[in-house]
Parts: sequence; C-alpha cells; structure tokens
Amino acid sequence: MKYNLELIKNKRKIIGFSTVLILLSLLGILYSTFNTSYKKPINLGMDFVGGNELRIERICNEECSNFSPDSVLENLRENSKNKNLLNNIKLQSQNNNKLISIRTPYLSIQESNNLITNLDNIIGPLNYESKDSRLIGPKLGKRLLTNCVTSLLVSLFAISLYITIRFDKKYALFALLALFHDLFIVFGIFSWLGIILSVEVNSLFAVSLLTIAGYSVNDTVVIFDRIRENLKSKKEGYNETIQLSVNESFRRTTFTSITTLIPLLSIILFGSYSLFWFSLALSLGIIVGSYSSILLAPSLLLKD
Amino acid sequence: MKRRQGWLFFIIFLLTLSVYLLINYPLQLGLDLQGGSQLTLQIIKEEGKVTRDELEAVNSVIDKRVNNLGVSESNLQTLGGDQLILELPGEQNPLVASRVLGKTALLEFRTQKEGTSIDLKTLQLQRLTIKELIEQYSFAEKSQNDNNLKVIQEDLKNIEQELNYSSTSNDLYGKLIEIKKYVDKEITNLFIKTDLSGKDLINAGRRQEQTNSNWEVLLTFSNSGGEKFAEITKSIAGTNQLLGIILDGESISEASVGNQFASTGITGGSATISGNFSAENARELEVQLKGGSLPLPIEIVETNTIGALLGSKNILKSLYAAISGLIFVGIFMIFNYRILGFVSVLSLVIYGFFNLAIYSLIPVTLTLPGISGLILSIGMAVDANILIFERIREELYDGNTLTRSIDSGFQRANSSIVDGHITTLLSCFVLFLLGTNFVKGFAATLGIGVLISLFTSLNCSKNILRFFTTYQSLRQKDLYLPRNNFSN
Repeated sequence: MKYNLELIKNKRKIIGFSTVLILLSLLGILYSTFNTSYKKPINLGMDFVGGNELRIERICNEECSNFSPDSVLENLRENSKNKNLLNNIKLQSQNNNKLISIRTPYLSIQESNNLITNLDNIIGPLNYESKDSRLIGPKLGKRLLTNCVTSLLVSLFAISLYITIRFDKKYALFALLALFHDLFIVFGIFSWLGIILSVEVNSLFAVSLLTIAGYSVNDTVVIFDRIRENLKSKKEGYNETIQLSVNESFRRTTFTSITTLIPLLSIILFGSYSLFWFSLALSLGIIVGSYSSILLAPSLLLKD
Repeated sequence: MKRRQGWLFFIIFLLTLSVYLLINYPLQLGLDLQGGSQLTLQIIKEEGKVTRDELEAVNSVIDKRVNNLGVSESNLQTLGGDQLILELPGEQNPLVASRVLGKTALLEFRTQKEGTSIDLKTLQLQRLTIKELIEQYSFAEKSQNDNNLKVIQEDLKNIEQELNYSSTSNDLYGKLIEIKKYVDKEITNLFIKTDLSGKDLINAGRRQEQTNSNWEVLLTFSNSGGEKFAEITKSIAGTNQLLGIILDGESISEASVGNQFASTGITGGSATISGNFSAENARELEVQLKGGSLPLPIEIVETNTIGALLGSKNILKSLYAAISGLIFVGIFMIFNYRILGFVSVLSLVIYGFFNLAIYSLIPVTLTLPGISGLILSIGMAVDANILIFERIREELYDGNTLTRSIDSGFQRANSSIVDGHITTLLSCFVLFLLGTNFVKGFAATLGIGVLISLFTSLNCSKNILRFFTTYQSLRQKDLYLPRNNFSN
C-alpha cells in the first residue's frame, strides 16, 4: 500500500491549520491569565497551590441515599471549630452518591481527621479502606511548581542541544518549531479544559509535557533522517523528495502513534482515576505530535 | 549458525532467570498500591542551605522517634537535600506520627529569676483559667450552647487585656490555644537557662500518677547530667525560686525544690515531670525525648493516605490496563505484520518479564505513575520493532531475499532507533534528577523500559526471527507481507 499525501499542494492549508490551532491555544491561555477568577495561564491544581483533597466511599446496603452537597456542607460548618476554612470547601458526589470527594484549602492532619469524622456523622458510615487523602502545604506547592518548570526548561534545552548537534541549523530549527507547536497546543487545550470543565493540572501534567517533548522530537527526527537520506541519492527535485520521504515514513509514524495510543487508551478506560488526565494529555500530545512530524515540519522545509 | 543459537539460549537463560527472580524476590509495591500513608517532612532553615551533616542529624532523630513509636515496616528516606519521606504502610494513622515527628522537642531545665514570684503566680493563674476555658469550650461546642460560648469569649477578652496581648487567630478555639502558648512562653521568660538540657538524658519513660488519672514522664540523666541536675537543684533548694521544665520554649511544669536538698541537691540521676499529661501526651513526649531534640525544626508539608481497599483496586485496574494494552498492541502487530508481528509479541512478552525482573533486582518500588511509565514504554518498545519491520518490508518489496531483507532491515533501522531512545532517555534523566518522588517512579520505569527495549527489540526480535526462518515452512514471503499488497 503506497500513500500519497500531497504535501506540496497543501502547504498553505497545513501551515494555516497549525496557525489557527496556535491562536486558539493562545486565546485560551490569555483568557485564563486575564480572567479574574483564574489569573494564571492554566488552572494550577493542588500539587502547585497546596490544599487538601479527600475521596472516600460510603458504605451502603443497596443504593446510597441521596443527599444535597449544600446541606452536608452546612452541617460540616456547624460542627467545625475552624469556620473560615470551610468557606472554600467543595464537595461532590459520584457513582450514585457512593463516592464523596472534597477539596479544601490546606488542613493539618488533625483538622483533616476531624473533617472526616464529622462527615462520617452526617452521611456515614464511611469505608475508611477506600480513603484517598492528600494534604499538600502551600510551601511545598510553590517548590513543586518551580521544580516542574525547571525540569521542563532543562530538558527542552537538552533536547534542543542534541538536535542542533545532530542536524544542521535549518532542520534543527524546524524540528524545534514542531516541538514547541505540540507542547503549546497541549498546554492550550488544558487551559481551555481548565476554563470549561475546571480541569486542574498537577505535576503529572508537567511529566506528560516532558514525555511528549521526547516523543515528538523522536518522530520528527525519524522523518528528517529519511529526508536527508533521500536527498543524498537525489532522484527527483527537492520538494518532491521531501514529499516522497514523508509518504515513505507515513506508515511507520502512524503505526507507532497507534501502538503508543493503545496502551494509553487502556489506561484511560481501565486505569486508576489519578492517571486519567495524565493519559489524556499524553494521548493528545501524541496525536498532535504525529500530525506535526508528518505534515507540519516537512511542510516548513518545502521551498516556495 | 552455532553462534546465533547461542544468543537464543542466552535469551532463554535470561528469561528463566527473570522468572526465578520474580518468584523469589517479589516486587515491592508503593503505598498507592498497598495502602498506607506517606509524610513529607521539610527541614526549615532560615538562612543558608541545609548541610549534609544537618540532614543526617535530623534523619537519625526522626528515625529514632519512628522506631520508638513502634510503627511496623516504616520506611524513612531523604529527598533532595532538605526533605525526608516517611512511609507508613497499612492502616496506621499518620496523625500520631505527625504529632510526634513535627515537634523539635528541645527540653530545657531553667531556674527562676529572683524576684519574679508574683509575676509567675499571676501567669500560672491565668494559665489555669485558660485551661478551664478550653475545657468549657469543648462542652459548649458539643452542646451547641451559644450563651456559654459568649461567656468564654468575654473571659478570654479579659485575659487578653490583663496580658496586654491580642490574639490573631480567626476562631475562638484557635485564640484559646494561641493565648495558652503565649502564657507558656511568658512563663519561660521568667526563667534563666542552665546547661542542663535534653542532651543529658539517657532514657525516658512514663507512668500513671498514683493520686489521679494523670500521667507523668520519667527522665533518666546520664552521669554528667545527673551531676548537673544535682548542682542546679542544690542552688535553688529552699529558696522561693522554682525549677522550670521547658519544652520548645514553652514551660510545661514549674517545680519547687525542698529545703532538705540544700546540701546535696537532688541526686540519683532521675526526675519526673508531672504536668497533667494525658496517656497520649505522655507517650508522645516519651518518644520525643528518647529520640532527642531535632537540630533544625521540621514541618510536615505533604501527607498522602491511601486505604488498603483502594490500593488493591488500583493494582487490579493497572493490571487490566497493562494486559489489555498488551493484547491490543499484539493484535495490531500480528494483523499488520503477520509473522513479524508474532515475533514482536514474543519479544514484548520477554520485554515485560525483563522489566519486572529488573524492578525486583534494583529494587524499584512499583507505584501508579511507575506502572503508567511501564505501560507507555510498551508503546515505545513496539516503536523500534515497527521501524525495523517497515524496513524489512521495503527490502522485500524491492525483491530481496528474506534473509537479506531481515539483516539489512535491522541494520538500517539502527540509527533511528538509537536516536529516538536517546531523546526519551534525556527526558527521563531530567525527570529523575529534578522530579518529586511521585515523578521519579515514572521516570525510572520509563527509563529502564527504554534501555531494555534496546536489547529486546534489536537482539531478541532478530534472534527469534532468525530461528523461525531456519524452518522452510516459515520462509514463505506471504507470511511476511499481505499478498494483495505484494503486487504493489
């Protein structure tokens, strides 16, 4: 089966499409930054701002009884010593009222335990074996954020360095352009997810960006390698050789993306909830990454 | 030919070894898979960096405290130069540990400044009042008695006026605790430091007082500590100066020394602190004193608790994800590459075993992010196979013989594979160096996976494929290429 992607004909469309994606991402990021309720380019999660997150299941005989989150919160407030803390509390129920999840600002372990005891009194009994509780102090949050930003910058620098040494300037520039394109779009998508679904990013999101960086560069490198190899033997013109090389590597690139997406999809479908957004970010990154390696980066190489 | 068979035997040997390792050294599961609590302790230093010695000193004090607490199978490790991570597996409550570990527990013995008797009496009275208010508060809170709460609030205001101090806490309870601490500190200021401290202890214990249900903490001094204690008690015996026992800058007990000790002081090298301790408080103080005081204060900055049931659910979910991922990747490969796909599935299985064996060997503690690293690395391991197989197909299309196509396919895909693995390894390396504990797990499994896949996808696939091609019936080209595409 031969593939015939008309790269030369569609150069403008491809670059235009990418520009639109970038602008949409930029819009999300700007909106999130300047909107008074976010004030940050992306909705930072508990890992970065500190806080307390609790998930616990109720023990119910058959079906769990209905309850209104507001009245539970009202009850919790009445029973709590620290009234102010509970002003910023969020409570949700999932799985037919079985699973309760609560978010509050940072609590001490003692305060968190009190909260659970109070909760148990109101809508208990609770199954403590199913508890998932995370307390992160605001100091650690800041530190994690700097940590993640540094690791992103350091590894982007390392990858850039590697690419510049390995390829000549033009190739390196376009490979990096494709890489930043991918990262920016995934970042933008999560900005939008933050605005629309209040999805938060935590340290695993930074990990996914790093992994996408490695993956995207790898994809582009394979195609550029093929282009260089074919240009050396030079059977046809420059632009035609690039198009041919892309079509030759098309199967490989889509196949590897599919085989990487399959395990990620199985984590999304079957894996633990804590890995859901992480796997989704990775999947998006891989899809955008394959698009940019197959279509965008080679298009940029084409001569007018 | 003999040499090729040798590689195959080597692979089989490694595989058996992996299975052996896995049976005899089972994998270590992280807390998110077996349930338990994890505390991150941050060492606080106002100026400069925490030195290696300081980290060690804090580590050893915390270690002693954890051991004295009697939590089972706990694990303490340092992280990033100024943090410690304590893991408590199972359903052990992190609350007690946090209370015991978080305190500096600097014990001091001080003598009262001369001429401060009246000041001390006033402060002691105020402390007593606040303690009563705190008790009343919990009653009023339980019975929701708003009148009583108002009275408490009034009393608190009076004390604040007397002390000329206004509390900053938001709620009543916080204010009460804050004022109590303030008074304890004020009392401390009426006392002068001596050279006797918690360092002079060799042991601590606790027992219930005979007269009431309160507990007291017993101290045993070292030889020199005993002498110092005798000296100090001698100097204030029979005077109206008191001996102050001060913990972390707050006075917990003030005691008078009777006239009968004026000549020798209190000898025998032991003392008791009776400061209305509850059984719990007495035990916590005992553990803290036994471990010694922390050279630098620490703060608990992160606590994660996962119930055991949730942990086992997480294992199951990860298992489903990994197995279904493997199966679907396998189906995809066999569908597209026929025999070659089957070979890649075999080498993927080998790859899985090698990975797990390395985890048990190093050992790598398996966590949720770790498992996702492993699952993701399945995709990357297949990537190498796809690169090779695509090359083999091209060679076959060009009309080359099977053996030649296979050889040059492996050869020509080499550089792309190594490149791709290097960029991923770079990311893993940075993640491992800079990441948190959580992130490190992911970086470790992905990194190990990438390294192993270099071996399995290059070497194992090649040798299995060569072994297959020694059988004439497996050498038909259409087993390697779908027939309808062959004519292309």
